[in-house]
Amino acid sequence: MDEEPERAKRWEGGYERTWEVLKEDESGSLKATVEEILFQSKRRRVIESHGQVRLGMMRHLFVVVDCSRSMEDQDLKPNRLTSTLKLLEGFVDEYFDQNPISQVGVITTKNKRAEKLTDLAGNPKKHISALKKAVDSACVGEPSLYNALSLAVQTLKHMPGHTSREVLIILSSLTTCDPANIYDLVKTLKCLKVRVSVIGLSAEVRVCTVLTRETGGSYHVILDESHFKELLMLHVKPPPASSSSECSLIRMGFPQHAVASAMERDARPSFSMSHLDSGAGPGLSLGGYFCPQCHAKYSELPVECKVCGLTLVSAPHLARSFHHLFPLQPFVESPVEELQGSRFCEACQGELKDKSAFVCPSCRSVFCVECDLFIHDSLHCCPCCIHSRAAL
Amino acid sequence: MSCYGFHIFFTKFTLSKCLDAVMVMGNSHLALTRTNKLAVIASHCQDSHFLYPSKSLGGGDGAADDVSSTRDGKYELLAVANSTIAAEIRNVLSKAEVRGNSTDTLLAGSLAKALCCILTNSHLVCLEQVIKAAEDCALQYMNFMNVIFAAQKQNILIDACVLDSDSGLLQQACDITGGLYLKIPQKLALAQYLLWVFLPDSEQRSQLVLPPPAHVDYRAACFCHRNLIEIGYVCSVCLSIFCNFSPICTTCETAFKIQLPQMVKPKKKKLKMPA
Repeated sequence: MDEEPERAKRWEGGYERTWEVLKEDESGSLKATVEEILFQSKRRRVIESHGQVRLGMMRHLFVVVDCSRSMEDQDLKPNRLTSTLKLLEGFVDEYFDQNPISQVGVITTKNKRAEKLTDLAGNPKKHISALKKAVDSACVGEPSLYNALSLAVQTLKHMPGHTSREVLIILSSLTTCDPANIYDLVKTLKCLKVRVSVIGLSAEVRVCTVLTRETGGSYHVILDESHFKELLMLHVKPPPASSSSECSLIRMGFPQHAVASAMERDARPSFSMSHLDSGAGPGLSLGGYFCPQCHAKYSELPVECKVCGLTLVSAPHLARSFHHLFPLQPFVESPVEELQGSRFCEACQGELKDKSAFVCPSCRSVFCVECDLFIHDSLHCCPCCIHSRAAL
Repeated sequence: MSCYGFHIFFTKFTLSKCLDAVMVMGNSHLALTRTNKLAVIASHCQDSHFLYPSKSLGGGDGAADDVSSTRDGKYELLAVANSTIAAEIRNVLSKAEVRGNSTDTLLAGSLAKALCCILTNSHLVCLEQVIKAAEDCALQYMNFMNVIFAAQKQNILIDACVLDSDSGLLQQACDITGGLYLKIPQKLALAQYLLWVFLPDSEQRSQLVLPPPAHVDYRAACFCHRNLIEIGYVCSVCLSIFCNFSPICTTCETAFKIQLPQMVKPKKKKLKMPA
């Protein structure tokens, strides 16, 4: 039934002689090695983009947080639960920054049960306040993978076919307590095209390996807190869409922001629909976004209109996702000595101090390490290529 | 500590007055706090060019010696800045060829370079100012939006001071990053507007009475007719916007699944035989 790929476990490999990394030069100083290590830490691996692959842009992601006894362990400071929830707040922010039209929900599992902390929603504030409150909750009992997954699937199976359905499980316990056979649930998940990924905090657990392999997700175990953050951020990028996901035209509204001041005669204060959710009570406000179909008012976008069901977004929200569709190619690293011409970075006009610089393959301009990092992480376009009028 | 970057666009006339106003603003900014830094970029049809600090000076040591003997006792930093800007703009003007009647400029590229410059020089809250006299270039939309989102992430405010015609792109930039957008009614008073509205930094702005925010039109333009629409259809693969339903997306050529109404099998009715 399972074909396990041949993979050597860590204890089966040879010794890692970490002391050999440090090498002294003739005079006995470690300066060159230290500079090399610093330079490598500045350069992060630029994750290879998939190229011409269809991506799942509208994502529905459930994050399952294990709140069992093992989360009180103090190997992550102050304890695993606090550290996880803090990192998840950053994850939610980054997720909505990169995928503005997607939704996220949070599920917790403890005491052999699972419950929804927040439902699938597109507003980051709700999730962040719920995560902040959850820090005080007690960690008891054992987690239940089966219950958490079936709770997630209950909502995900009703989602339209063109969206991607994902579950991210953060599991710290080495056990799980399930009421039924989990391998049947894995088959159901595969049929429903739900992609499950797991981040383990303790060690590799076989049921998670099978779960992620069958559904097409990824499984990693953390080494320390910074590695945990890196692994979480891997899930922010939209995954390649599965071949069977449907493509459809989604009807959306683009409301105008009406800004009215109290001085205008026509300004009428009105209630905002978003107050139906929050317990803050109805408040009259002058400006807001009016749904083009039913003229219900909302204070922020993106939102799904409660009255008529139309998804309301603004054009910059869609524009945020464009850089996933046109990814920037990684720059070629070349040593500074080989470069002809001036030793200046084209972007920041600073001198090239490190031993290698990055060259854009299309316009051949030279950039320093920090600018290269900034260009690939945030800017997503080469500052010199966009000067040529042929470029889009 | 704040760091300003200026962008100047070619105007058809009053370039020297515009530069004068910018130099006044730059001097005031440098004079406000010792740690303030300044960078000036000129952007025209072919390229964008750093006017100050200038690479050709090689650190400014040579020029400082020449200028330190100014007769009016001006602060050397300001004198160096002014003379560098004047010299470089003469340089740029003499080198630039005017090809045809294009009045578009490469704003996105200049903004991108300014962002990199700001980030390498200081890591605190920064402001960027754009002074614009030319029209928008529609080709630049995607790159421009990328630059705006990068600025917003780094907490860099973008302010815009528009001389001729309103610019939808800059309005969006100021709205998204939290800066100020102002269309100047009288070009002669450019220096006054710059000093009044744009010189104070973000903490001081909350205590001043400044022009109200402009109404930003966030409606999307459909890809087929370039009309602004309020309700549209979005392709789930490539996020292109259409005003009407069509079975194939013109950008990514995916065929869409159309929801057909359910087929109801006609039931065979028993005919009642006439008695």
